[in-house]
Amino acid sequence: MLVNFKRVTTLVSFIRRCSTLSKSLPELTKDRYPNIKRGDYAELNQNHLDYFHGLLGQNRVLSDPSDCEMYNIDFIKGVRGYSQCVLKPQTTEEVSKILSFCNQHRLAVCPQGGNTGLVGGSVPVFDEIVLSTSLMNNIISIDNISGVVVCEAGCILESLDDVLREKGLMMPLDLGAKGSCNIGGNVSTNAGGLRLLRYGNLHGSVLGIEAVKANGDVIDCLSTLKKDNTGYHLKHLFIGSEGTLGIVTKVAVHGPSKPKSLNLALLGLHSFENILQTYERAKNDLSEILSSCEMMDERSLDVVTSHLKLKSPIGDFPFYMVVETSGSNEKHDEEKLNAFLEGVMSEGIVADGTVTNEPGKMRAIWDLRERITEGLLHDGYLFKYDISLPIKEFYSLVPKMKERLGSDASRVSGYGHIGDGNIHLNISVPEFSPDILKKVEPYVYELTSTYKGSISAEHGVGFRKPPYIHYSKSENAISLMKDLKKMMDPNGILNPYKVLPS
Amino acid sequence: MCTMEDFKFLFKVVLVGNAGVGKTCLVRRFTQGLFPPGQGATIGVDFMIKTVEVDNDKVKLQIWDTAGQERFRSITQSYYRSAHALILVYDISCQPTFDCLPDWLREIEEYASSKVLRILVGNKIDREDREIPTFVGEDFAARHNMYFLETSAKEAENVEKLFMKIAEDLMQVQAKNKDLPRYESSTTNISGRTSSVSDSSCCSKLT
Repeated sequence: MLVNFKRVTTLVSFIRRCSTLSKSLPELTKDRYPNIKRGDYAELNQNHLDYFHGLLGQNRVLSDPSDCEMYNIDFIKGVRGYSQCVLKPQTTEEVSKILSFCNQHRLAVCPQGGNTGLVGGSVPVFDEIVLSTSLMNNIISIDNISGVVVCEAGCILESLDDVLREKGLMMPLDLGAKGSCNIGGNVSTNAGGLRLLRYGNLHGSVLGIEAVKANGDVIDCLSTLKKDNTGYHLKHLFIGSEGTLGIVTKVAVHGPSKPKSLNLALLGLHSFENILQTYERAKNDLSEILSSCEMMDERSLDVVTSHLKLKSPIGDFPFYMVVETSGSNEKHDEEKLNAFLEGVMSEGIVADGTVTNEPGKMRAIWDLRERITEGLLHDGYLFKYDISLPIKEFYSLVPKMKERLGSDASRVSGYGHIGDGNIHLNISVPEFSPDILKKVEPYVYELTSTYKGSISAEHGVGFRKPPYIHYSKSENAISLMKDLKKMMDPNGILNPYKVLPS
Repeated sequence: MCTMEDFKFLFKVVLVGNAGVGKTCLVRRFTQGLFPPGQGATIGVDFMIKTVEVDNDKVKLQIWDTAGQERFRSITQSYYRSAHALILVYDISCQPTFDCLPDWLREIEEYASSKVLRILVGNKIDREDREIPTFVGEDFAARHNMYFLETSAKEAENVEKLFMKIAEDLMQVQAKNKDLPRYESSTTNISGRTSSVSDSSCCSKLT
């Protein structure tokens, strides 16, 4: 789930308000998950700190507990580590020296970007040293002709996008957390977002990567070429491995041209079957100008209309879609969109809708979709799942979970990226209950596996899901992953307890 | 679900006219039977389907409600082209909305099909402060070869009649003129699209 950062402050203050504790800190991960044991790592001592101070100076080593607190808690306040050291390197060389030192002294390290992850991957589980990329935020080069931007890992996605837009380019990914997430974190988690349908995932648009291995070796694969078939494609190992194989320090990303014409339609539909038909039509009729194709069910829309008091500009329907086009010629896009809308209306697969290119109304329509995550928090406790499924089965989990939970759940809703086959399934309950959890898990993963889906589409595995990856990956595949991990990080210092099952 | 077999004709009806003349209210009155007080300006284009019955045949009206305000209208022009009927609306209590009619006609002539059915509607006859006498509207319509009707979305006066008249006339025109596009199941259904749909609730919901 990609949460709009601009609303993070509201969201965090909301959680604070709701908390009955005098301090709103979540329980320490080590206490909430007593089965997870701290690995055989060294504990931080003064000698270690002295080394870091010598390397980075006083200001870029945080060791005061209050300074470290925000680096220990994840965005949704679900997990909390107790790291006593946050390091803020500014160069690849510093990252290399830090890792080399930590590897020699068996100090575990948790790499962290904007800390917007939703699966607990970006914060320490125990006392791992936090290596924050936030000060590595230089843009190295932008090639106006090829559109390639080369930058350091700590650049904030939105800042990069702003700079590129001034040059008629844009970042190939857009997600709710863009105001604070770092490009290094995006790449390390293979972040998806609202326009993956159009621009593809990061395995395609990241052309090159520079990363540092656990032993401090710098792996320079910072190619800016679109085509480069020399040897094994190592960059892919660092895309989506969540900092467990190395720390990404620089990236080269292909930025597409900024669209000159944008249109947005909100559609009301009577069935999920109609959504599939509309998606198929959108692909065929809008083809290269289709830039986003999202769906939400009535219970998801209700979240924003009842909790956040947003107004839907169309009537009530069981399903809704948001279809966006971006192109280079307004007239051309308008013609295509018109033909598409007439087609789906004539065939009776879309019942009602509105279309606009006025920025204010486009924002209002996007809010209906993007603010669901925030609105859901008003429901109480949430079981959140981020699942990929073959498109025909996209919505299958929602009615199944609804039936299984009956009155236990106050809401079972589904929304997401229909074009990518990625649904966000949310089960709302008034408050957490282990009995309900047992009804939901592992059933929801088993069901996903039955449909040959993935239990983590775009959020990653992080700390929360390693026990479940076998639902989506074979034993041999997991075994090869473990071999790779052992080879690249023999001491297991990089982001331990994450991604791979123990 | 409405499959193509459920109806005999499908017509596209587009409403145009100055901001605030009551286009959205006419549509809401007709499709939902309500009059929304304090209706905000339409931005872009809203579209909806309403199924009506004419001589025991089901006719689907695809209604496109466009923005009256210039700054919200940039994507509306292409919506004229395939329209079967254009409803040009003015407010009988607001002279400037009537004075703009020639501008709207120029736009219609530029973008719409020459065969389009054109209807002039003077809305808000519930109001006491009428500025445009009925005969002035009638006269304008006659000179420009348009049907004419005065309505009140608020009092539900002539609204049903307006859309039913359009449906009936278009059916007659269609029966005479084979050139106009026909939306019959046998001709426009794309294979496989509707075969698996079986729910029959949508038409009843929409009517």
